[in-house]
Amino acid sequence: MYDTIIVGAGIAGLTAAIYASRKRMKFEIISSDFGGQFMVSGEVLNYPGIVNTTGAEFFSIMKEQMKFNNINVKIETVKKIERIKPNFKVITEKGSYETKTVILATGARARKLGVPGEDKFANKGLTYCSICDGPLSKGKDVAVVGGGNAALEAVDFLKDIVSKINILTVKDKFTGHEYLIEKVQNNPKVNVIFNAKTTEILGDRFVKGIKYEQDGKQKQLNVQGAIIEIGRVPNTEIVKNLVELDDHGHIQIDCQGHTKVPGIFAAGDCASGHEYQYVIAAGQGCMALIKAARYLAGKKEK
Amino acid sequence: MAKVKVYSTPTCPWCHRAKDYLKEKKVDFEDINVAEDQDAAQEMIEKSGQMGVPVLDVDGEIIIGFDQEKIDVALKKEKKK
Repeated sequence: MYDTIIVGAGIAGLTAAIYASRKRMKFEIISSDFGGQFMVSGEVLNYPGIVNTTGAEFFSIMKEQMKFNNINVKIETVKKIERIKPNFKVITEKGSYETKTVILATGARARKLGVPGEDKFANKGLTYCSICDGPLSKGKDVAVVGGGNAALEAVDFLKDIVSKINILTVKDKFTGHEYLIEKVQNNPKVNVIFNAKTTEILGDRFVKGIKYEQDGKQKQLNVQGAIIEIGRVPNTEIVKNLVELDDHGHIQIDCQGHTKVPGIFAAGDCASGHEYQYVIAAGQGCMALIKAARYLAGKKEK
Repeated sequence: MAKVKVYSTPTCPWCHRAKDYLKEKKVDFEDINVAEDQDAAQEMIEKSGQMGVPVLDVDGEIIIGFDQEKIDVALKKEKKK
């Protein structure tokens, strides 16, 4: 019987694991991959104590930190979590783990546009990871779809690589951090297209263009790359019958990380209050673990 | 030893993961930066039929993305030869 099982190994889950290890709890951290979304972040410029880093650098530091704390992430996919009162059973494709508490830190993934051509041209000029595949668009014209931080970051990353960047957003303004908006708007390579609803990705073997609708008119851009950054979807499918979710599928938590089910806690991008920031995920991971430890202590006293 | 090529970009975290994994397994490989080398980028696109990185070429077997299981299988095949 474990004290806690942490599901997910992004920043929220890894932070919870550091605290669990240092509290000498009996625990496992289980995830289908190690690193979560920071694997696809470019520059990181807003993490306290770190002036400037990249997702890749951050990953190597985290890996070292896990080693230092004797934490081994189990690379397994959690299929189901069952309630066996008062405890829980976490079931993966390889086995099952009985535990007194669960920390859900399952994160989020890229949202898809849901337009024709999107699946066909995925990795064929269309990508959800600008820092991974962006450099292959060297000297080409590209379109970035989206108007928030991730889209603006993608534009900023691509500006020195590609020849021209079109950024299309359905809104009439950008919604990201001001410093990013300034960078993007002041760049002569960038063509901003507001009120544009992307309707199709065009191409033959690879992407050749993008179709969009603006003010009721059908328009088209010739581009050899399409970068989709239109937000994220929480990875909460496996717990939808276990805990309460909000309208967008995020796990409802209070400000202390409790879900509506005693013994289950949630943290990071899978949880309500999601602002998709490293610092918030780290803080929530820490909070959830400490509250889980308090929950266990409370049970012992009874 | 298997002849291994890794087509990668310097900014791609999954490429770093793939290369770290090969290093851990003490597998020698040729690291090809497709962000700089346009001919190599073209070669990678021809071989894999797509433009996502990383792409691994293990003795002619093409693996798209960082897929630990597929890498293990491809390396094992080579050992048996």
